[in-house]
Amino acid sequence: MTAVGPQAAVQVDIPPPIRPRERGTPLEWALMHLAFVAIAAFFLAPFVWLFAAAFDAEATAYIRVPGRLTLDNFTYIFRELAFAKALANSAIVAGATTLLVVLTVTLAGYGLSRLELRRKGWITFAVLLLQTMPLSATMVPIYGLARLLGLRNSYLGLILIHAAIELPFLVWLMKGFFDSVPRQLEEAAWLDGRSKLRALFEIVLPVARPGIAVAAGLSFISAWAEVLMVIILVDKQDMKTVPLAFYETFRTAGGYVEVQYGLVAAMGVLYLLPVMAVFFATRRLMVRGLVSGTKGL
Amino acid sequence: MIPGGGGAAAPARPVPRDALRRQAPYLFGLAPAAILLAAFFVGPALWAAYASLTNTALVGIDAARPRFVGLANYERLLGDPDFANVIRNSVVFVVGSAVIGQFVLGLSLALLIDHAERRGYRLATLAYAAVLLAWVNPTVIAGFLWVAMFDFYNGSLNTGLALAGTGPVDWLGQFPMLSVVIANTWRGAAFTMLIFLGALKTIPSDIYEAARVDGANAWRRFWDHTLPSLRPIGALALLSITMSTFGTFILIQTLTNGGPGTQTEVIALYAFHEAFRSYAIGYGSAIAVVMLLINFAFAIVYLRWSRARA
Amino acid sequence: MTRTIDRRTFLKAAAATGIVVACGGDQGAPAGGGGTAKGTISGTVTVSYADEAGLKPKYVQLAADGLRAKYSGVDVKIDHQKIGSGDFYTKLLLALNAGDVPDVIHVGGDKIGELADAGHIEPLDGYLKQWEDWSKVYPDAVKSGVTYQGKVWAIPYGLDTRFLFYRKDVLDKAGVGATWTGPKNVDDILEVAKAVKSKVAGVIPYALYAGPAGDSGTANHAFIPLLWAYGGDLQKDGKWIGDSPALRKVLDYYGRTYRQDLSPKEILTTAKPWTAMREKLGLKGELALLFEGAWNYGGWVTKDKAATERNVGYALFPTATGGPSFTIGGPGTAWYVTAKSKNKDAAWEFVKAFNTKEIVAKLNIEDPHPVARTDSAEVAEFKADKYLVDSTESLKKARFAPPDANFGKVIGVIQKATARVATGEMSADDAAKRYTDELRQAVGADKVITQ
Repeated sequence: MTAVGPQAAVQVDIPPPIRPRERGTPLEWALMHLAFVAIAAFFLAPFVWLFAAAFDAEATAYIRVPGRLTLDNFTYIFRELAFAKALANSAIVAGATTLLVVLTVTLAGYGLSRLELRRKGWITFAVLLLQTMPLSATMVPIYGLARLLGLRNSYLGLILIHAAIELPFLVWLMKGFFDSVPRQLEEAAWLDGRSKLRALFEIVLPVARPGIAVAAGLSFISAWAEVLMVIILVDKQDMKTVPLAFYETFRTAGGYVEVQYGLVAAMGVLYLLPVMAVFFATRRLMVRGLVSGTKGL
Repeated sequence: MIPGGGGAAAPARPVPRDALRRQAPYLFGLAPAAILLAAFFVGPALWAAYASLTNTALVGIDAARPRFVGLANYERLLGDPDFANVIRNSVVFVVGSAVIGQFVLGLSLALLIDHAERRGYRLATLAYAAVLLAWVNPTVIAGFLWVAMFDFYNGSLNTGLALAGTGPVDWLGQFPMLSVVIANTWRGAAFTMLIFLGALKTIPSDIYEAARVDGANAWRRFWDHTLPSLRPIGALALLSITMSTFGTFILIQTLTNGGPGTQTEVIALYAFHEAFRSYAIGYGSAIAVVMLLINFAFAIVYLRWSRARA
Repeated sequence: MTRTIDRRTFLKAAAATGIVVACGGDQGAPAGGGGTAKGTISGTVTVSYADEAGLKPKYVQLAADGLRAKYSGVDVKIDHQKIGSGDFYTKLLLALNAGDVPDVIHVGGDKIGELADAGHIEPLDGYLKQWEDWSKVYPDAVKSGVTYQGKVWAIPYGLDTRFLFYRKDVLDKAGVGATWTGPKNVDDILEVAKAVKSKVAGVIPYALYAGPAGDSGTANHAFIPLLWAYGGDLQKDGKWIGDSPALRKVLDYYGRTYRQDLSPKEILTTAKPWTAMREKLGLKGELALLFEGAWNYGGWVTKDKAATERNVGYALFPTATGGPSFTIGGPGTAWYVTAKSKNKDAAWEFVKAFNTKEIVAKLNIEDPHPVARTDSAEVAEFKADKYLVDSTESLKKARFAPPDANFGKVIGVIQKATARVATGEMSADDAAKRYTDELRQAVGADKVITQ
């Protein structure tokens, strides 16, 4: 796992070389545009149902042209199903988790990168392997641990556990990222008389910004989507996050009637929009970060 | 690299106290992550490893008085024909949706979009956004969306087929594995696409220029220059998606919950069912430990491979 | 650095200890009896239950109010989970194992064996001795339904019974006749289904639960009645029966049903298929035959009483040879006091407060079940409802699954066997052999016999 050296860091900062725009043949134009349409259709098709059903007065599990357009599904979930609270909970948890994760993995990635240890590679490897621990094995002990530490039905518990889930992959990623940032940068700063911590903040972190963006983006997306851990931690109605509300509504029939698909779709639409926004806002930084981070490995 | 020194390698003997003081800040940096990981990963993993050696259950007499049974759970697992089926399903699912699906599709998408950017085709952005949307939306929603797509009577796919004049297909009933592979590919293609897109952008263009001067055509340029440059990162992406696909669970649970019978029962789902449907925690933990070992094997193979290249 | 390691080690040790204590459980749980020190009834009682249909909360509230009125020092915390009973049970088990113990819980009476063995519930005999109602209005048959190893563990109120529901309008269109009152034998069910399939478009002929998706319904609403119909049984002399001629016939029946597309494959993959099936039969007329819990009728009546009475018929389950029809009964959901409750006396008072003649009668009129108390059955509204009277009558012809702690595991084996045959993965004979192997694995080889 050798660092690529100064070359990589330098290349990350320079915008990609502008290749000359060559004109393609008309056939190429046609084929490629056909491909794009097909791709967009394949990837967007399932969402058609979501948006159709959310505004449908009598939504069903399958796609149909809405007989009667309505906003009732949306008003119902806010009025009757306390969706606002679930949304707020999700926002609080995801936001705080992102902050905690960014802080933790930056420190850990930097530390792991600069640490001198013979078997460091094994530790890195072990950390990544932890990520693959299946939920069913950890559900019972985490339940017990959470109860012991008073973390159930609390924001703190949700945040800590949501953060923990993201750590293995992101620590690994950040380590790789820091590996490609040459030590000369910090050493120069130390020689100048700055403390280690200042050097970290003033010199290293700005270079590491894309990596941090990746960590932030990925952890927000994951925290926003997490459901299994929430099942273990929460049984009070007012501590639910949206994925749990969604999961329960889907696996529950309201009385003797089937699932209210319109309501579930409305929840889905509202739930989707914030994460889309966050992702599109950070995507450029994230792509750069993903590449640089995985290069140093 | 030792700060201030020459290019000496990391010390191979016990670290002297002075060096420890130097290392201390880095260890402090690691501490918060280490604590969280220890509490929520290492601890539970150790608990699960221990539980796999018992017959502990959530209910019934084994809940009140669990017994240490040594490797009995593992023996039972190896002898269980259902488990062989589960492994087979898992392999098919991973090869289908991670290797063939996400990886190949992701790479193709990256190449297409990269090429389109060079040509200035704007429509690429739409395709790009669509692929990302599939990745970014929460898994519970994704599962739900595909249930709607695959529904037999009026699902989107069958409705489309009806418009085209052909009869409906019982996606989840007759082709459960294909259905979950499609859904999972849809879901995860973005990750590999992003990684390859980024990698493609950092391939210096002079390589292409040199090759073009040499007279190589587009296909040769791709095969001889582009692909090799992508190989290291591709291997990494492949490892990453293999390990994560191996653990996929919610998507399959929502679509088929193991398939009609056990046709899509993959290992992560099998572990969950044994632990939380049959309430056999000891046995479920054994399955989870086996999962971890298999992932360990994947990772070792990758490490060997990547070390050999470096 | 030392600080870090200490913290990490401490947390790990604490976690390990905590988990061992919580999961290892209180080995020295007091043997049955309950009702020790009869001190004042005070403190908080936590009541945990799941209810999707939304009919129970007001009665639980009524009971809580009644309890508070009677004992001023008591507070009742109601934990109403709006999730399915299966998910609720799993969560409850996690909580009980971790030491998060509500005082009163509300789960199926069929769980008595496994909960008792796990030490999660408290035997109630001590309390029952001082409760007149128990000896006066609870019949012996009901009492034995909640007795395990000689002790009573739960108080039932609405008993389970099942009917073979059918759509009169659909059967009429299929040429079976609007006056059909039930199948003559099990093959007759398939004959009717075939007629529906060929003559009535857009209607599912028959819903035969198979596989794990059907949950306990695969056993109680499909497999077990068929097994009894074919002359077989689940247990003989306390041992579970594996392979038997009756078992093979049942699996063959499944094979025939699914091969002829008389029951939809969706049942095998849908989550909670019974919600869709009951809506299709009772409300939409898109399903012709369904053997399900009698209580489903209530939901249909609430939506449209006239249409339901006009279109939905119900009958008992036939035997293979045309012998006397029967049904399968059960203790229904019942009230338990947990073993680790810190306020058992008050918990028991809550259970009594719920199980009054009025509450039991009213709740089971809205959510139709035969009642456990004979005095509730005498309430005028109850007696006036034909369906309720029929349900109660059906219990006289009901058979019951054995109250065995391993029943849950056997249900799992049943689910697997039925799924194999329904998907065509295995022939009935092969599935029967696997059934025996899996049964031995589940309950212990020494508890399984074959015929």
